[in-house]
Amino acid sequence: MLAALGSAGMLVALVGAVLLVTRGISAARSGTRPNLGGAAQLLLSGAVASMAAMVLALLTDDFSLVYTANHHARATPFPFDIATAWAALEGSIVLWALVLAGFTWFVYRRYRRAPDGLGAAALAVMGGVAVFFFGLMITVANPFEVCVQAAEVGCVRSSPWPFVGIDAPANGPGPNPLLQNHFMMAIHPPVLYLGYVGMTVPFAYAIGALAVKAAGPEWLRRSHRATLVAWSFLTLGILLGGWWAYEVLSWGGYWAWDPVENASLMPWLVATAFLHSGIVQQRRGMLQAWNFILVIATFSLTILGTFLTRSGTVNSVHSFTQSAIGPALLGFLVLTLVGSFLLFSTRADHVASPSRLESMVSREGAFLINNLALSVYAFIVLVGTTYPLVLEAFTGTQVGVGEPFFNRLAVPLSFTLLLVMGFGPVTPWRTTERGLLWRRTRTPAVVALAVGLLTAILVSRNGWVVTAVTLGVFVVGTMTGLAFEQASRRAAKTSEPLPSALRRVISGDGAFWAGQLSHVGVVLVAIGIAFAANLGAHAEVRLAPGEAATFQGHTLTYESPFRQVTPAKTVVGARLTVTRDGRFVGIVEPSANFFGSDESGVSTPDVLHRPGGDLYVTLLGLPDNGSAALTFDTSPMIWVLWVGGLVTAAGGFLAMRARRREREPVEDRHTIDV
Amino acid sequence: MSERVRNLVTVTALVAMTTILATLVATSPSDVDRVSEIGERIKCPVCQGESIANSPSPMARDMMALVAERVANGQSDEVIVAELLAAYSGAVLLDPPASGATLILWLSPLAALGIGAVIIFWWRGHPARGVTGDPPEEAGPTTRRLVPLLILAAAFATIVVVAGLSLQDRSGRASGVAALGDQDLSDVSNDTMEAVIAANGDHPEVDGMRLALADRYFEEGDYRSAFPQYLAVADSANATDGQAVTALARLGWMAWDGNAEVETALNLFDQALAIDPSAMTAQYLKGQVLWCGAGDHEQAGAVFATVLSDPDLDAESRAAVQSDLDAVTAGEDCA
Repeated sequence: MLAALGSAGMLVALVGAVLLVTRGISAARSGTRPNLGGAAQLLLSGAVASMAAMVLALLTDDFSLVYTANHHARATPFPFDIATAWAALEGSIVLWALVLAGFTWFVYRRYRRAPDGLGAAALAVMGGVAVFFFGLMITVANPFEVCVQAAEVGCVRSSPWPFVGIDAPANGPGPNPLLQNHFMMAIHPPVLYLGYVGMTVPFAYAIGALAVKAAGPEWLRRSHRATLVAWSFLTLGILLGGWWAYEVLSWGGYWAWDPVENASLMPWLVATAFLHSGIVQQRRGMLQAWNFILVIATFSLTILGTFLTRSGTVNSVHSFTQSAIGPALLGFLVLTLVGSFLLFSTRADHVASPSRLESMVSREGAFLINNLALSVYAFIVLVGTTYPLVLEAFTGTQVGVGEPFFNRLAVPLSFTLLLVMGFGPVTPWRTTERGLLWRRTRTPAVVALAVGLLTAILVSRNGWVVTAVTLGVFVVGTMTGLAFEQASRRAAKTSEPLPSALRRVISGDGAFWAGQLSHVGVVLVAIGIAFAANLGAHAEVRLAPGEAATFQGHTLTYESPFRQVTPAKTVVGARLTVTRDGRFVGIVEPSANFFGSDESGVSTPDVLHRPGGDLYVTLLGLPDNGSAALTFDTSPMIWVLWVGGLVTAAGGFLAMRARRREREPVEDRHTIDV
Repeated sequence: MSERVRNLVTVTALVAMTTILATLVATSPSDVDRVSEIGERIKCPVCQGESIANSPSPMARDMMALVAERVANGQSDEVIVAELLAAYSGAVLLDPPASGATLILWLSPLAALGIGAVIIFWWRGHPARGVTGDPPEEAGPTTRRLVPLLILAAAFATIVVVAGLSLQDRSGRASGVAALGDQDLSDVSNDTMEAVIAANGDHPEVDGMRLALADRYFEEGDYRSAFPQYLAVADSANATDGQAVTALARLGWMAWDGNAEVETALNLFDQALAIDPSAMTAQYLKGQVLWCGAGDHEQAGAVFATVLSDPDLDAESRAAVQSDLDAVTAGEDCA
């Protein structure tokens, strides 16, 4: 029943997507403005029906679906039963397609208000991408196949026809143990997908603009909100991924340059470059061609990321052929790249920018350096992630590319970005009056170096920590100085008190100051990483019951082992009390969790969150003699990193909501202030 | 305070503070944790892309303990890394050297940076003629000049990639066994393999080739040639558990099938099973020898049942083992 509902939903959505493509193209070509609402409705309702069927099947333990039979168990608790809908390949594509249909609906609503060729062409592109994903669902990754031969647990043979000889098993094996160990897994994928899939909207508008030869910044204006939504969710998604790794993966870290992590970082870097260079085009009419390239690159990288994480290519090149979805995604990626750039090259005369760069010491110049650094950053991550795969595929040679490689290249580049971030916002457009930049940066530079000195004397003389703090204070200092400069000028003109002038300055240019908030977030992330990566401590101990160990000023006493059995899992762990200077601080219970028939157990750390540095305790094992083998880790100030990530994303959401000051493009004047 | 004095004071303060800060950082006691630094450079053999420093798996912990011991003994980073890579098959260096196959990894970001800088520089030097307000057709020449530049950049990138790959190709051949462990050996002749093995007898990667060669002899029924190779793998300190188990199982079968030495054969199977109790090929062959060689129906039946309990057994093998088990239980002699 649910299989039939889901399959029908898929087909209806596919029909809607095809209609959107054909009718969108004819609308863009003929100049007529047909109603595309029917097609958009079919797409959205079909996608919703598919997801509803999937979730209902999981909630009602309907094991007649192969997906449920092989990825769900009766004992799987809430919210993991729903999260199972995107825990495996087929289900994750249902979620992807649903999010895509949702974004398409928003593009349609805009078209409905003011139908034109650009909107119709963008809808046709959205429809084209939807055709691919629903096509994928119907052919190689069908989530609604039914089970026709049940095993004791799970299903061994399936059929795509929803009504033939269903043989449902009594129970399934449940989702991957690692994925049901933390509630974060329930929200991390949807957040990340909102980021990934949202990048389809600027891509669709860009391709649409090229197709209908709608030069100028109109496509940027239309996709602006969607880009910010996608970027903010992508930021949140990466943050949640790091947080999840920290809370679940037992080694006290949050980022390991793993291919799956890199797959989410690459589009983020290029999208960040695009957010900045888009401003240059809107204000100065420059970089039009470059913006098309960035948007195409961002979308392609989201597809590449999906390919890397979902085809099984990452763990071993040899599993490549095991899933038909790998070649399909790779083919779609090649098609996207070749098609986009062919279209781009035939429109070359329309994408040239009329304005010119007058001086590198200008806002445009700072944005150019920012774009160069971010693009090279993304390129480094791309090369480091794909080179081992390409090399192994063509020559069979195995090479590893890990943390040492990425850190060595990414750290200097990150510091360069921080430095540019300190100068960029206080540099005027076009050209800079002599001495202006110096006047605006000298005081922040003195303050930053003073704070850097204090850090070196009071906290640590580690070079990375000192540099991150100094540059961070400089960035925040220059933007604070700018805010006060503008506010005092306003206060002098209108004779209102400084605080209210400051409020008006900020609310008068909300988008700019929301961007600065994101900069503060990035500064916090940089400082958090510098502290966590360089000032952490690690110890490995073996304690008998009642025995205590001292770590980072805390005393940890091993009380006893414990064992908890719930329907979903068996938890075997060690209980420790933590005291500091004789005062009780808390209890930690690191454990190994055993889900269903899984025998290896998921090592589950326990973290005592402390402002100075978390106490991170992992259980290595409980040997037979009654002792507990444990590791203690601490990453000082890691909460700064989490807060920084949230602030960065918040800046993106605020920029989307901010009333944009109506700006005229910057004309030929010579000293124009920010 | 005049502007000039203020500037002078600021510059002095900046220079002084930067100097002090640089000195403080440069003279800070080195608190580098060498153990985890080395650990981050080595991929854990049994994990999915994690370094041994980041993995809670028992094997990674063992390797980290080894690193800590070697660091305490004062050995250099390179020696420790080389030892780990040799001792643990599947351990891969995560810190690609700036030479050979991975040189291009280090060069390409620099190339990208260079190309980007050149494009910006070129773009500044060749502004579009049409400034704001001019008819857009004026923009044409810029684009036409942009296209050859893009082609040039692409060509340069291609040259870097091709050069890197061909470089890798040559270095791969020169070092001979560097990639041997994972090579496709299907079109390498027996003689070539013998020669390579003879030339690199104690190279840690050679066991894979020995095993491939021995398997080939074994399947041809040439036990005499297969025997020394399997023996070398079984004795090799570098062989993985999997390789050793295969070699021991095959040696056992040859001892029975070639020389009818039941005792030796069973002894070799038990050695293999001591390393890996779940080695089903060794179990099955042991069952065969127990049945056909020792005539011990009871034990042979028990062994076959163990094999059948393995859920990963494919259907064809399952059927074969099942029919053997049925025959043993029925008291039939082996065919």
